[in-house]
Amino acid sequence: MNLSDSERVASVLDAAGCTKVDNEEDANIIGILACSVRQKAIDKVYNKISKWNKWKNNKNLITFISGCILPADKEKFLKLFDIVFAMPELPQFPKMLGEYGVTNPLSLIAEPNNTIDEIQLFWNVKPKYDSNFEAFIPIQNGCNKFCTYCAVPYTRGREVSRPSQEILDEVRSLAEKGYKSITLLGQNVNSYGLDKKGDELTFPELLEKVGQIGEEVNKEFWVYFTSPHPRDMTDDIFHIIAKYDCLGKQIHFPIQSGDEKVLIKMNRNHSLEKYRKTMQSFRSILPQATVFTDIIVGFTDETEEQFENTRKAMEEFKYNMAYIAMYSPRPGAASYRWEDNIPLEEKKRRFAVLSDELQKHTYEYNKSLVGKTIKVLIREKDRKPGYLSGHTAGKIVIRLESDDLSLIGQIVELKVTGAARFSIEGELVEKTVNC
Amino acid sequence: MSRKRLNLHEILEVRHLTDSTFVIRFEKNGMDFKAGQHVCVGPPNGIHTREYSIYSAENDPFVEILVKEVQNGLVTPVLKGLKAGQNVVVEEPVGYFTLQEEKIKSKKFLFIATGTGISPFHSMTKSIPELDYKILHGVRTSQEGYERDEYKKDRYILCSSRDQSGDYTGRITNYLKEVMIDKDSEVYLCGNCNMIHDAYDILEEKGISNEQIHAEVYF
Repeated sequence: MNLSDSERVASVLDAAGCTKVDNEEDANIIGILACSVRQKAIDKVYNKISKWNKWKNNKNLITFISGCILPADKEKFLKLFDIVFAMPELPQFPKMLGEYGVTNPLSLIAEPNNTIDEIQLFWNVKPKYDSNFEAFIPIQNGCNKFCTYCAVPYTRGREVSRPSQEILDEVRSLAEKGYKSITLLGQNVNSYGLDKKGDELTFPELLEKVGQIGEEVNKEFWVYFTSPHPRDMTDDIFHIIAKYDCLGKQIHFPIQSGDEKVLIKMNRNHSLEKYRKTMQSFRSILPQATVFTDIIVGFTDETEEQFENTRKAMEEFKYNMAYIAMYSPRPGAASYRWEDNIPLEEKKRRFAVLSDELQKHTYEYNKSLVGKTIKVLIREKDRKPGYLSGHTAGKIVIRLESDDLSLIGQIVELKVTGAARFSIEGELVEKTVNC
Repeated sequence: MSRKRLNLHEILEVRHLTDSTFVIRFEKNGMDFKAGQHVCVGPPNGIHTREYSIYSAENDPFVEILVKEVQNGLVTPVLKGLKAGQNVVVEEPVGYFTLQEEKIKSKKFLFIATGTGISPFHSMTKSIPELDYKILHGVRTSQEGYERDEYKKDRYILCSSRDQSGDYTGRITNYLKEVMIDKDSEVYLCGNCNMIHDAYDILEEKGISNEQIHAEVYF
């Protein structure tokens, strides 16, 4: 989400006559799009602004901050940054720059009350895409779920869906320009349309129309979405993914915990049984697809037995990737009021246990691909000299030995020649496919 | 500050039920909600809000929340001091701790609450008078049986752990262990997390499936 936001901020600054510089030391306007999910991210904000405010002794510098900011943090940031604005206020940013240094009283108002009009103006900002083959399209903003470990409902407000026609126009435009990977973004992407109470497409309907664009545009591209919430995940979404080639055969499906009681304490609003049934449907409808997940270890009061249930869930669901986080309380989230009572060493141990568990399944899956010819989007030069890397339609990382930079941004066919725990290796079969 | 932006609702009444617990009634302003949903409410400066289950019925011409003061809290001491005519910031109602339409007429409902966790059940029973329900309300002293006369006597059981003036003396979870539960019931749990976890185990032992258990943690 932050990447998508930053592309829109870049677009506004560009239109205001600013030029991007490569080093922060060279900038005259510098800012941060904050992330409220982790306290570490907010700690970094304080480190950065402290440094930048010292630079002001020697140069002209305007500082700004936006993104996910808690109301309480916002009060503090107003004293540290020249400009503080909520992301829906982005269209007003150039005006604020003109008045920089003057505290904007609008910014003192509680963040969750972004009006629908403001978020609409924000969505109308044409992003300056960082890549010419990968793009992110925000389709929904805010969260109604109130997971106890998360501050997003307090920083981004309630769920608001972007008009479907705008989304579909953006998808079509990107596809026609030759973009190869498009990701639909939202805090609860599959809650799309629910806030409009029947006056907007539902998420499955939106996805169907995206699939139809894929049929109409004579170019190959893959569309993904993140993050969905298990509570609103339905089988028709899987059927639609199966129906259209352009819909990436991968889902990100956060479980967070494999224990019923921890799920209750996290206020996830679904049971493990509901998650299990959804996964069973997913596997039966899309047997070739990959599944990624998010897991938190060491949540307040998580017992060894409860953690073991999460490990068992990981064993059962055989994820292709898991973003495992050691729990850290986030100011503003409900769980911040609870004691963070699992010692760091124990969190590290649980993290390591799950990482080992994950690797068993990823390695098995990756080995099963050896010898197959698969389509791959080449994304960048690999760290290993003489190699490029990309991902499969299922977002499995793949490397190939090549220094042909013209392949970057192309979908090519590779024969898989080797497998590691979190990646595979392949060799080129043919250069490009249907482009 | 525009009224629209801050979602200000005028307070119509503040009803103090105990020294620390009170009901705030405020303008509905067209707010549409389902019994069991919650709203974020805060003082009129709008900096901090907290989630509160709606206490009033869906069709009441006002909205009420039941609030317990948290000592040194950022929100509740301020809310406690507000008077009729002043405003509160109210965000739109959300939440999934609601009754499933198709089960309302066909199922029995067991509502288990501690303290102000009674709030969503007050809203549910007032919104749907024909509901076949029983409420188990766990409190420390019977003083916390907030407006208990509003429930039918045979449908409300007050479990008080620190005095003997409830219908049952002892913890709500002890009472739960001792009683028979219709295995076809839909069970809703609301209140502190420890009670919910203990009740969850007891219900599982009594053969209630996970899918029949719905929980809302208060924090």
